[in-house]
Amino acid sequence: MKTHDGHLSRRSFLKIGAGAAALAGLKWPKTAGAADEKRLATLIDLSLCDGCPDRPMPACVGACRAINKDKIPPVAKNIPEPWPRKTIEDWSKKKEVFNRLTPYNFIYVHDVRIDGKTIYVPRRCMHCDNPPCATICPFSANHKEKNGAVVIEQNQCFGGAKCRDVCPWEIPQRQSGVGIYLHVLPDFMGNGVMYKCDLCNERLQEGKLPGCVEACPRQAMLIGPRREIEKNALERARAMNGYLYGKTENGGTSTFYVSPVSFEKITRAMEKKPGRPDMKPDVKRRMAATDPLGNAVLAAPVLGAVAAGALGWISRRKAQGKKEGENHG
Amino acid sequence: MAEKILAAENRVVRHSRLELAEHWAIALSGLVLLLTGIFELPVAKRYYIITVPGLGWSADFITSLYLHYAAAFVFTAAALFHLVYHGLGGEKGLLPQRGDFRASVAVIKSFIGLGKEPPQHKYLPEQRLAYAGMAFIILLLIASGLVKTYKNIYAPDLSHTVLLWATWAHNIGFILFFLAFLAHMAAIALKPNWPMVRGIFTGKVRLDYAQHRHGLWLADLAQASPEPAEPPADQTGAEGKNPPPPDGEKTAPGP
Repeated sequence: MKTHDGHLSRRSFLKIGAGAAALAGLKWPKTAGAADEKRLATLIDLSLCDGCPDRPMPACVGACRAINKDKIPPVAKNIPEPWPRKTIEDWSKKKEVFNRLTPYNFIYVHDVRIDGKTIYVPRRCMHCDNPPCATICPFSANHKEKNGAVVIEQNQCFGGAKCRDVCPWEIPQRQSGVGIYLHVLPDFMGNGVMYKCDLCNERLQEGKLPGCVEACPRQAMLIGPRREIEKNALERARAMNGYLYGKTENGGTSTFYVSPVSFEKITRAMEKKPGRPDMKPDVKRRMAATDPLGNAVLAAPVLGAVAAGALGWISRRKAQGKKEGENHG
Repeated sequence: MAEKILAAENRVVRHSRLELAEHWAIALSGLVLLLTGIFELPVAKRYYIITVPGLGWSADFITSLYLHYAAAFVFTAAALFHLVYHGLGGEKGLLPQRGDFRASVAVIKSFIGLGKEPPQHKYLPEQRLAYAGMAFIILLLIASGLVKTYKNIYAPDLSHTVLLWATWAHNIGFILFFLAFLAHMAAIALKPNWPMVRGIFTGKVRLDYAQHRHGLWLADLAQASPEPAEPPADQTGAEGKNPPPPDGEKTAPGP
């Protein structure tokens, strides 16, 4: 099956068309994120990922860490103690950790034992289609780019960890003692900066591939135009009589996992811990339930104005009728 | 026009039921918006608000968003209703006039015994200025809130520049709205303004208060009144001291 998938993978990879050509030449069009049809997505084929057993750490993880090693500025020597709840999350002395998500580690490979076999699952931000982490950020430091990447601007983030609370996979990770909050009211407001995968958005703008995709020695990860990647993922899942994850989860994401093993089995075998999320299938986008009320809010100005116009017209008609009655009387 | 002098009751109708409904719809929904807006910040867990009985939901941002949207619907519809209804009716009593700032200073000075307050229209000059300020803040909140709501539902990849403008306009509007609310409460706390509090609950204020303070308004009412009216038996009497006239409601001229 894996060999067959490998063929499929290479064929489909080439079929991606313009996106694939750009990947091959590392010439990503600069307008990649400009139009809806140019939205990007990634594919992670679990039938191909082997966790890089011959390396000290998986290639995707190593590449990501190398690219982002200087991302976090030096952490304050004395991290302010938040008041009144004294939670400090400091990973600056545990930068080497790579078997979970941390502010210094945006991707890890979760190895899961199922039926005597090991499945290797690279985990990072899913880059949701309508990401609650971004839409609910009180300072809009977390936002979604036109190309689909969900990006946290570290110079605008106060580290309140709201994004982690609303993420079904609790992906963003906090580093206390860095960021803008240090210059405002560090004891009372904010607690650092949230960090997570940004799909190497800057590299994409420069026409490069995300580090993890570029580094994968087995082409278990692909990136390309959204529609093509989705089609590719569906074809692969069908061909291996396998399963898809990320298409509908949390309202849809830009990451498509393809697996020969069901995600029910995978998530059951995963021990969910902080920084090590599970893969519960069909996880709902909770914010979707608020959309009808949101639509009512969008309609409210028109409803208010129309009601005022109608009532004003009725009032004037009444007043006019009364006046005419008095004149005739 | 709902405004009417009820000499027999020593009252003047200051606000129609519709105006009261508008005020309270905006005020109550505004308070819910302030509270749920605060809960959209990650404060409930940090400040142990979730341990307050009845506020266990305060750290759930989606629940707060439900309430925020529900209140925003009332707030926005009521504000637009107010704007269009009174705009089409050509009502300008609450709009600032030339010289209001100077007149406001005179009114405030009179509170501390410096000079005498001149006769006023229905609204005091500082009320007109406050109205303009509050209207600006409310429109800022509504416009930026609509952009954020649209983004939440339809455009999560809205231009980050537009989003930052909307977000910070909303956040700054929130602070201004809170300060304006405090100023509003402070104005009510001033003794000379106490008689107006009744008006915003019942729609009516005492006639003797109006005669004492809003002479220009009563003069306008008297001029607009189709019937000649008699003043109450004791214009300086306190509430409840006037004997009821035999023919019930009457309009009275201004002082």
